[in-house]
Amino acid sequence: MRTGRKILVVFAIFSLLLMLNLPKALAANAKYDAAGLPDMSDFDPSNPIIPTGDTIKIAIVASFSGPAAIVGEIYFISVQWAAHDINKRGGILVDGKRKKIQVIRADTQSKPAVAKKVCERMILKEHVNVLWGTNGSHIMKVINQVAKKYGVIAQCAAALSDELYDARNFTRYSFMTSFQTNQIGRAAAYYYGQIRKKEKKFYILCQDYLFGHSMAEGFKEGLKLYYPQAQLVGEDYHKLFLTDFAPYLTKIKASGAEVVYTGDWIPDAANLLVQARQAGIKLPFANIFLDEPNFLHKVGVEGTKGLLNISQFGAPNPLFKNDLQIKFYKAWNDLWKTKWKAPFNTYLFKHPLGNIGSYMFQTYWLLSVIERAGSLDPEKIIKQWEGDSYEYISGKVMTMRPVDHKAIQDLHAFEYVPPAEQKQSFNIPPYSYFTGCSNTGPISTIPAEKIMPKLDPKLKR
Amino acid sequence: MTKRMAKWVSWGFLCLVLLVFPRVFGIYYSNVFVAFAIFAVYSLTLNMLLGYTGLLSFGHAMFFGTGAYTTAIALDRISGMPLLPVVLAGFVASVVLALILCPIVVRVGGTAFAMLHLAFGQLMYVLALKLRFLTGGEDGVGGFPIPAFSIPGIISVDMTNPLNFFYFAIAVLGLSTWILWFFTKTPIGSIMIGIRDNPQRVEYMGFRVTHTKAIIYCLAAGFAGITGSIYALFQNLISAEDGYNIMVSFGPIMATIVGGVGSFSGPIFGSAIFSIIEELTSRYTERVELVMGLILIGVILYAPMGFMGVMGLLKQRWLAARKVKLEGAK
Repeated sequence: MRTGRKILVVFAIFSLLLMLNLPKALAANAKYDAAGLPDMSDFDPSNPIIPTGDTIKIAIVASFSGPAAIVGEIYFISVQWAAHDINKRGGILVDGKRKKIQVIRADTQSKPAVAKKVCERMILKEHVNVLWGTNGSHIMKVINQVAKKYGVIAQCAAALSDELYDARNFTRYSFMTSFQTNQIGRAAAYYYGQIRKKEKKFYILCQDYLFGHSMAEGFKEGLKLYYPQAQLVGEDYHKLFLTDFAPYLTKIKASGAEVVYTGDWIPDAANLLVQARQAGIKLPFANIFLDEPNFLHKVGVEGTKGLLNISQFGAPNPLFKNDLQIKFYKAWNDLWKTKWKAPFNTYLFKHPLGNIGSYMFQTYWLLSVIERAGSLDPEKIIKQWEGDSYEYISGKVMTMRPVDHKAIQDLHAFEYVPPAEQKQSFNIPPYSYFTGCSNTGPISTIPAEKIMPKLDPKLKR
Repeated sequence: MTKRMAKWVSWGFLCLVLLVFPRVFGIYYSNVFVAFAIFAVYSLTLNMLLGYTGLLSFGHAMFFGTGAYTTAIALDRISGMPLLPVVLAGFVASVVLALILCPIVVRVGGTAFAMLHLAFGQLMYVLALKLRFLTGGEDGVGGFPIPAFSIPGIISVDMTNPLNFFYFAIAVLGLSTWILWFFTKTPIGSIMIGIRDNPQRVEYMGFRVTHTKAIIYCLAAGFAGITGSIYALFQNLISAEDGYNIMVSFGPIMATIVGGVGSFSGPIFGSAIFSIIEELTSRYTERVELVMGLILIGVILYAPMGFMGVMGLLKQRWLAARKVKLEGAK
């Protein structure tokens, strides 16, 4: 009896500790306040309400012209949405004054030299507080260099190369809130080797620059780690903004590959998939940016079936788990249906999910950090952000590793299925993401501890 | 005031303006000025071929890019490289490249010369993309350490400071401009004009046209290499797009045509016009090249002698009007 009581007391204490500490361990430092979402009906990306005067200035340093111009617009709508939301809540209290968020477009034309010049203009003439970037790790490298030179905060929300934060390139002014190439590669390998366990022959086709090579390295590392039985039957790197993929597709066809792994982003991603299907290649592509719905529609339901998208904005199925998530989704989707004009009324902008959702919530995280730092002083922002964690509306928790400023997160593998099967994920009417192409069905979680961001051992801080 | 004295006063005034420029206009416009100065001197080197020797090159970027890559790779791979030797390395590498090409290119002229350079230029561009282990491929070479300008035991100036770099770049580019100008005033400078106007006659006079061409070619290449070197230091980055792209070859041609072919200062004014237009238009539109293209068309149609030609014409008219006025007064 006495022993039984002792066990009971120990059990009770253990349970109490568990109740007190476990939620603390799981909970983020801050989370998106979905309940406070204001009336967003006046949000129009074509005619954005941009505050001026004494504001918190964020420069979106990206391609707003040239073949990747649409990428800049994706970033703009995502960041501007978050800014508009916070502005309608009254802005952010910094240095004793409530300030609104001003988003500025800074066109790099996808050229490093232009990026440097435009970043300097943003800092020295526009006096921006944050440089937000970008498509192209080589451009992000420039942004980080300029941020370091002038002591301005940079947020790496869309460039994914690990090398940006290695011992050589690391700057304490820059924070990588996106997922990373090595992490993505290992996540894809983990999915095929530990979850799916079917295909064994892989072909790597990536863009011929830092990002593409990093993506490939990550995947090869992941295969060694999680799928040693897998076979790499080919590896190629093509020029950025290539228009003719025929030579590569011929090689893929001849290689006997069962899956093509690619890091391509649009326009390359679109051209690759469309041309592959035209060439009769029906292989699945393991990807991160082959999710642009306009070209997915061009390829159709059958052509997009079986694609595997590694997402940084995922959460386990179903997509909508509470009313606040539905409210947030509808605030966006209703405007898309009724108000927005080209290019924002196309399929690409239908859902505040995927990469758009990720860019948007990475920005919310930035704004939350500034708010909690209570200052625009870069040193205070750095102190606040290092080790910080933030919960997205989807429930996904992001943690900023202090040592190298890389975000720790779970990733999710989205398997693309025909519209009728999308209900398992899209659990509100119309019960599918799109009717004209395959999209997310089954979702697998790749736990953060299996894909911890690569840390350069030489980085001493 | 004598003419000579007026000249020295003008130079002194120019030096004073350059000295106070960063203080008055700030870092941003100082950087814009450095970018302009690099482009202007690069255009001058092209003008040595096009304006003075009559050789149109569609691949001049290969020397600019080689100088830039040499400096960037040297700083990236060799620790402790001093500043002036890396700039010199850019010069030497471009001259070596020019020496390799000389046996082929100096024997031809006109379209053949232009097209050969287009081919070699594109070859260098592709090599820069493909030799990833050396050039960084599409990413280029960036983030390398910028050494201080130091004379052991005397001075050490931090070149990561934009203000210090402004003075360094202007000094190097100014010296390069003076050397190029001085070269045009030497006997060989006169021969190159002769080659432009009538190479056969120069040959008959006993001068070796191909040898002279080779010297001019190497000199133009070397100084293009220096501008590339300063560009790499200025950007702390060089990529195939910024070093070897076809537009890097076309840019100075456009600046030279707009400024005035054959005139020494024409490319400087052409570069200034383009720099100002780029600075102003890029704030409102992404179509900067379109605006520049329209200007080029306008110049070719209505002022084929370029800015300097128009200035010369206006000066002639003003002098003629003054002469008439003076004669009328008598």
